[in-house]
Amino acid sequence: MTGWHLNPEAIRRYAEGAAPMELAASAEAHLMKCAECRDAISSSVDTRRAGAIWHEVVDRVDSPRRSVAERILVRLGVGEATARLVAATPTLRGPWLLAVAGVLAFAAWAAQVDDRFLAVFLVVAPLGPLAGVAVAFAGGLDPTREIGLATPYSGMRLLLIRTAAVLAVTVPIVAAAGLALPGTHWPAAAWLLPTAGLTCAALALTSRMTPVVAVGVVATAWVLATAPATLAGRPGFAVGAGAQVFWLAVAIGAGAWLAVTRNTITIKLGRSA
Amino acid sequence: MTVRVRGATKSFGRTTALDSVDLEAGPGVTGLLGPNGAGKTTLLRIVATVLAPDHGTVTLLGRDPSRPADRTRIRERLGYLPQDAGFHRGFTVFEFIDYVAILKEMTDRRSRHDEVRRVIALTGLESVSAKRIRALSGGMRRRVGLAQALLGDPDLLVLDEPTAGLDPEQRLRFREMISHAGEKRTGIMSSHQTEDITALCTRIAVIHQGRARFTGTPGELTAQASGRVWTDAQRSPVALAAWRTGDGTYRNVGDPPAGAELIPPTLEDAYLLLMGEPEREVSRS
Repeated sequence: MTGWHLNPEAIRRYAEGAAPMELAASAEAHLMKCAECRDAISSSVDTRRAGAIWHEVVDRVDSPRRSVAERILVRLGVGEATARLVAATPTLRGPWLLAVAGVLAFAAWAAQVDDRFLAVFLVVAPLGPLAGVAVAFAGGLDPTREIGLATPYSGMRLLLIRTAAVLAVTVPIVAAAGLALPGTHWPAAAWLLPTAGLTCAALALTSRMTPVVAVGVVATAWVLATAPATLAGRPGFAVGAGAQVFWLAVAIGAGAWLAVTRNTITIKLGRSA
Repeated sequence: MTVRVRGATKSFGRTTALDSVDLEAGPGVTGLLGPNGAGKTTLLRIVATVLAPDHGTVTLLGRDPSRPADRTRIRERLGYLPQDAGFHRGFTVFEFIDYVAILKEMTDRRSRHDEVRRVIALTGLESVSAKRIRALSGGMRRRVGLAQALLGDPDLLVLDEPTAGLDPEQRLRFREMISHAGEKRTGIMSSHQTEDITALCTRIAVIHQGRARFTGTPGELTAQASGRVWTDAQRSPVALAAWRTGDGTYRNVGDPPAGAELIPPTLEDAYLLLMGEPEREVSRS
């Protein structure tokens, strides 16, 4: 019980959300213990506005807390829906990333022990990010693949989101391994343009085949074309100046083709429909 | 008709999973009945736009799923529970359903969360919505699968073996949910449980070895066994199938001998007869 009550003007201003902060705080404290004033204000409240506020409260309280990865992505400016899609990318799980890091660490260690193994690193380096793209769409590793296939989400958009996420994580791993190489540090960066070109070529092929097959085709072609010359002591064929220009052209060409055809091609995310 | 499949044929290598199958389905629940490996899942995957037939035509919700633009429109109005629905087990129930809602192009966060809460309530998952999926029982996971299929209140609901692996109480609960979901939309579900089909479906198609052996109502299929089920004190040597019942008598299904004590057939009797007979396609209106 209380000896005083809110006057009609205070009730009106509070109900409209137009009361100054000190009045609103005082009114709220009073309303908590005065049934008479609660009755009086109930007829003045804009039910739509109250509903919207309640809705927001429920959403804040009831929605799950985002995972650490999602929170980091949102902080970096990624949309919350995209962050959730990235968080579900199979490649971005610990065991797979550890495997990539392990293979590259071994290649870097081998190059430290014997200079001839430096060539092996240059051939292997682009395969890490490429394999990540394939794994992101491998049916056996994406448990929700079949559910996802029956949804209207654009295959091209999902492909690009997952590829960007995979590259963002695997490229630093490869770069770190490259910095551990003996001698000059040029090999630490020499694989970047070939990786970009090979990835774009694989993405462009996804209109004809599934990402896993496309990556397989591109990776096999890369190994067959570069391994013999590189292992014979001629790494320039794979990562020399001419090769860098070639891979830049491939990246630009395939990227442009993807951009131009993005609304007309069907990305075959393992689906045959 | 919401679903119209004509002459659908699908092969995987040398295996013909579907051989010129026709299927029509409108409002209500249509059941696909058949043994394991009969082709039910392949047919449902075609209806869910996950697979395209090698031959034949498919029309879903008045559109042609072989055309990319139409396929996207169909998928906007489609809910699908695959036979082996997988989950990101590290996600909570809410997070997983929210993930599928994003794939269903529900872009506004708040209204998407409202929709997630709606299907969670509809499938009785409120108490576990914050739990990780890996901590749930098989029955609860099946409910999560149904919940994601109900997102967006789809006009076409495709459920592949929705009650497989559930205990009797969970099956009853699932039947209630599917029955409710089928009241105002077209549902297609597969099962090899004749009780589920009898309880839920207004029409059925019996698929066997990639072919439709019967299409019609459950009553019409059951009627085919009329006069072909009898009880006896012993297993009849002329019966296609016979089993001892709880009262100690044998229930025989097949062509009865003269003077046999005939009893009313069930859908299961008719199904057994159909599976045991030489192939002939039977279709009812």
